[in-house]
Amino acid sequence: MDIDIRHIAKLSRLKISDDEFAKFENEMKGIVDMVNTLPQLGEDLAIDENNVMQLRQDIAETGKFTRDELFQNAPQVKAGCLVVPKTVE
Amino acid sequence: MELYEMTAAQLSEKLESKEISSCELTQAVIDRINSVDGKVKAYLTVNAEEAIEQAKAVDNKRISGEKLPKLAGIPIGIKDNISTKGIKTTCASKMLENYVPPFDATVIEKIKASDMVLLGKLNMDEFAMGSSTENSYFNVTHNPFDLDKVPGGSSGGSAAAVSAREAIVALGSDTGGSIRQPSANCGVVGLKPTYGSVSRYGLVAFASSLDQIGPIGKSVKDVAMVQDIICGRDKMDATSAVREYTSIADSLTGDVSGVKIGIPNEYFGEAIDDDVKTAVMNAVHELEKAGAKVCEISLPSAKYALPAYYIISSAEASSNLARFDGVRYGYRAKDYTDLVDMYEKTRSEGFGSEVKRRIMLGTFVLSSGYYDAYYKQAKLMQRKIAGEYKAAFNEVDVIATPTAPFTACKIGQNIDDPLKMYACDICTVTVNIAGLPAVSLPCGMDRSNMPVGLQLIGDSFCEDKILGAAYAYEKLIGGFAAPTL
Repeated sequence: MDIDIRHIAKLSRLKISDDEFAKFENEMKGIVDMVNTLPQLGEDLAIDENNVMQLRQDIAETGKFTRDELFQNAPQVKAGCLVVPKTVE
Repeated sequence: MELYEMTAAQLSEKLESKEISSCELTQAVIDRINSVDGKVKAYLTVNAEEAIEQAKAVDNKRISGEKLPKLAGIPIGIKDNISTKGIKTTCASKMLENYVPPFDATVIEKIKASDMVLLGKLNMDEFAMGSSTENSYFNVTHNPFDLDKVPGGSSGGSAAAVSAREAIVALGSDTGGSIRQPSANCGVVGLKPTYGSVSRYGLVAFASSLDQIGPIGKSVKDVAMVQDIICGRDKMDATSAVREYTSIADSLTGDVSGVKIGIPNEYFGEAIDDDVKTAVMNAVHELEKAGAKVCEISLPSAKYALPAYYIISSAEASSNLARFDGVRYGYRAKDYTDLVDMYEKTRSEGFGSEVKRRIMLGTFVLSSGYYDAYYKQAKLMQRKIAGEYKAAFNEVDVIATPTAPFTACKIGQNIDDPLKMYACDICTVTVNIAGLPAVSLPCGMDRSNMPVGLQLIGDSFCEDKILGAAYAYEKLIGGFAAPTL
């Protein structure tokens, strides 16, 4: 089966270099052929009532972390905010 | 016998009777790490100073007469995808090379509340994707039984550390076999608990509907004791089951009489090495001689578990790993022209090849026009497989299979062939697909003197049955062999 590796890479926000491309395409084809062995069962996928989750109440808990703690791993912080490239002209 | 060679259950008694201190024990294990980890390379971070401090604090509590939990003072190693406050949690990825979590995973809170000592963080395949620990960004871990071979994966560091006696017990995570397969390769006991029995809060997500944290130990009882600590409902994980748990460790009797063991012929096909089949069936016969009833069963859809697993796990991985964008935490590329360029360069430089393959497979199976053919069909197959298991458990208590189709491979043997690597998981993925508990325990050696793993699968929340049978087997054969290092 043919898959458009460049398109999938773009959707995945990944760049595949020209050097790696042939190897990657070949590997991905093999993997897709493997998953293609799955038969089509053609039924409807209803919600599984045996596996119902209990969600906690959506109440904000404050005081667990400081802003500094939450930002300690950020690549770039300025004036207490995360820095990202300009997105709006 | 050295302290680091003993089981947690033995050490727990020695600590309680004050025959030894946690400081002595922790120092003995750290010395062991210093002496053999240069060869095994199981650890990414050793938390030596803090571990000794924790051990001292536990000793002080004990001296003051405080009643302590059973495993208080026992050192434990943690897979590096489980968040530890103030200790780097890298997922063995360049993406998280310098990431220090500001919080503890729920299992770590429980380990700390049980006064166990955190030894450090253990190597793994990057983001738990792999079956050999060769996908670690940092280094390859070596199998303590043969240093030229892989420990298996993805919890290869956890299994190798316990096997090499560099940790008394360890935590791993299992999405498609990542606790059981390395445990089999390294000759230790590893439990993948029922989905929902252990909180995933703080486990860096790979495939959320399949991931489960579990214990690895030198004995069945050790694994049961750690599972008793880490299980339980957690409001921070909506998928954690609402139920009460009784102690599994206390339920172990060594009596296997009348236990019905099913042997599914689908797990003994030509893909399975003959030595593995022989070792597994010998173990089953031991249990039969001790009074277990053995019968053949059939799980006809088992052969579709591998494609279903790779579709579901990769689909979830592609969504879960979208969070690594170079904005809030982790690696960020140095040079970029705009936001999208930053995302693409950050992710391309930060992730290794296997992670990229899984993200791309996941993106493909979820993409417009393919969702119905792949993801939906895989979810339907998941229900079918779970149904077949459910029916089987009306007839038997435990299902016995090999844990892995072959014993540990040479380092580098499969690294360039993703499909060969994926085939390592054929005996384990079904269990995650069906959400069931399963334990791997050593059941002898193959012709190259490498450990073989016996997998015992149980019905949901029947960890007591599989660990009960495993404990009986361990008693029958008089314990498991240790490697010589």
